[in-house]
Amino acid sequence: MNELENDRRAIHQQVGLSGEAPDRSISITRRTFLHRSLVLGGASAAACGLFPLMNTLDLAYAAEAGGETFKFAWISDTHLYPKELNSRFVEKTIRAIKEVQALDPPADFLIFGGDLAQLADPVELALGAELLNELKIKKVFIPGEHDWYLDLGANWNKRFGASPWFFDHKGVRFIGLDTVSKAVDFWTARKYTPAERMGHMATLDGTLGGAWAAVGDKDLKWLDSTLRSWDKAKPVVIFSHNPLYEYYPPWNFWVRDWREVNEIVKPYSNVTNIHGHCHQVLYNEVGKMRSIGMLATSWPWPYAPEGVPKLTKPMVRADPGDHFDAQGWAKLTWNKDKLDNEYMMWRGKDGFFAEAAVDSGTGDNRNQVLSPRIVDRL
Amino acid sequence: MKNYRYALTAIAAALLVAASTSTWAHKEKHTAEQLQAFEDVFLEQVKLGDALFHGDPAAVKQMGVTLSETGMACAMCHPFAADIHPHEFPKFQEHMNEFATLRDMINWCIEKPSQGEKISSDSQAMKALEAYIYWSNRNSKLDPGRH
Ligand code: HEC
Ligand SMILES: [Fe+2]
Ligand SMILES: [Fe+2]
Repeated sequence: MNELENDRRAIHQQVGLSGEAPDRSISITRRTFLHRSLVLGGASAAACGLFPLMNTLDLAYAAEAGGETFKFAWISDTHLYPKELNSRFVEKTIRAIKEVQALDPPADFLIFGGDLAQLADPVELALGAELLNELKIKKVFIPGEHDWYLDLGANWNKRFGASPWFFDHKGVRFIGLDTVSKAVDFWTARKYTPAERMGHMATLDGTLGGAWAAVGDKDLKWLDSTLRSWDKAKPVVIFSHNPLYEYYPPWNFWVRDWREVNEIVKPYSNVTNIHGHCHQVLYNEVGKMRSIGMLATSWPWPYAPEGVPKLTKPMVRADPGDHFDAQGWAKLTWNKDKLDNEYMMWRGKDGFFAEAAVDSGTGDNRNQVLSPRIVDRL
Repeated sequence: MKNYRYALTAIAAALLVAASTSTWAHKEKHTAEQLQAFEDVFLEQVKLGDALFHGDPAAVKQMGVTLSETGMACAMCHPFAADIHPHEFPKFQEHMNEFATLRDMINWCIEKPSQGEKISSDSQAMKALEAYIYWSNRNSKLDPGRH
């Protein structure tokens, strides 16, 4: 066993929640590694934010499990308003779509990861559909909360189909979850209009929506039975709008039933969760599942004040003077026996992972303690 | 979310005057009502600032400001006022290439990412935004000049 593998194990022991980790046959093969002394002083390493990640992520799995090379692309969080109100968001959505269309050889499919619209307005959803129509490859969709809470998904489902769903492609089982539709009803008793309900749900740091992100009992059962028909050693990719672990509940950077999800995926040795919603570079491992956070095309969120996974190497602080900065899409390639995630961030190739705390969106928060807002606190 | 009443300010002022025998402050011991009134004045500004920061149409209209022309509110990029570091001002602000105050940078963010119209640095809207940003950072530690 080589030294990197030893480091990897040490990290898992330090930061793994349950002592479990993704299959040993899976290893991250291209990355900067944490020095052993930092690993062993786990707490201080976490404080420095000096954890490993890579701009390209190679996940290896047992060669016999698959073997074909193909690409797929992720776009999410375009947050389209009506064109006249915000042309920048339209411009950036078009840029992402053109860049995906230009891939050669082409991507086998696009996964759109939710938050196509800003306020689930039919005009916004129609605009999104019209723009995506220019992309001439297979497309699959999962909803975001911004697509949902005007009409509780009616328009979304009609245009883009209902979730959850799954399909098998070249040796990989791809699953799409709906993690947004299970908010507890806060609107009926308050007699909110659909637009008021949507407005509250669209406020990331609002409080009325509560812990809305969830897979839900029914879909947990569905996930369980969908996995049962799949070989435990073969790769599974689960797309979800929200991360399938607990990062920062106040902004729904989680699903409230992430423990149940973890129980269900436990027997499977090669599970990758790819999620949107957080608008930032993220990487985490919980139990046997790894999660990769995708960029938005609309705007980057700051890292949450706490809970950033120790395995995340944060992206560089965004430049608010450049409306493309710290955003983009992702190119994911199955290369024989590896899944390779490449963030297609609209920023210079070497400039987007922070090496020093001063450049990092998490490292610059020293001395800062934030409080929830005051106005809609009940 | 829509009831910001400047009446409160007036009540506070009245209380302050009523509770003291002269118009000079600090010559009498403070009453509990007075202290409450002072805090109410502050929190009223915080609430107004929170509403402006979250793009509340009523508050924006009441203040007669155009903080954004993109549909985006400050809070969409700064939930819980994250990524705003009021405790680090004043400092050299590299986006502006000059030594800047929090108010300068609030205006910069109004003009650049939000494509809105600058507000006067001692306007009521500015004071309210500042009140909210400081309030949400009330447990942060002063660290002026830090990048
Ligand atoms: C499109 C996203 C976006 C919007 C909208 C936006 N900002 Fe910003 N703002 C940023 C980013 C990104 C930074 C830089 C953060 C950093 O340096 O890490 C920033 C920086 C700031 C800073 C300086 C923080 C520091 O410590 O240097 C202030 C103050 C600020 N914003 C206030 C506001 C206010 C007030 C509004 C609403 C009128 C607003 N911003 C709207 C993205 C935005
Ligand atoms: Fe989003
Ligand atoms: Fe979202």
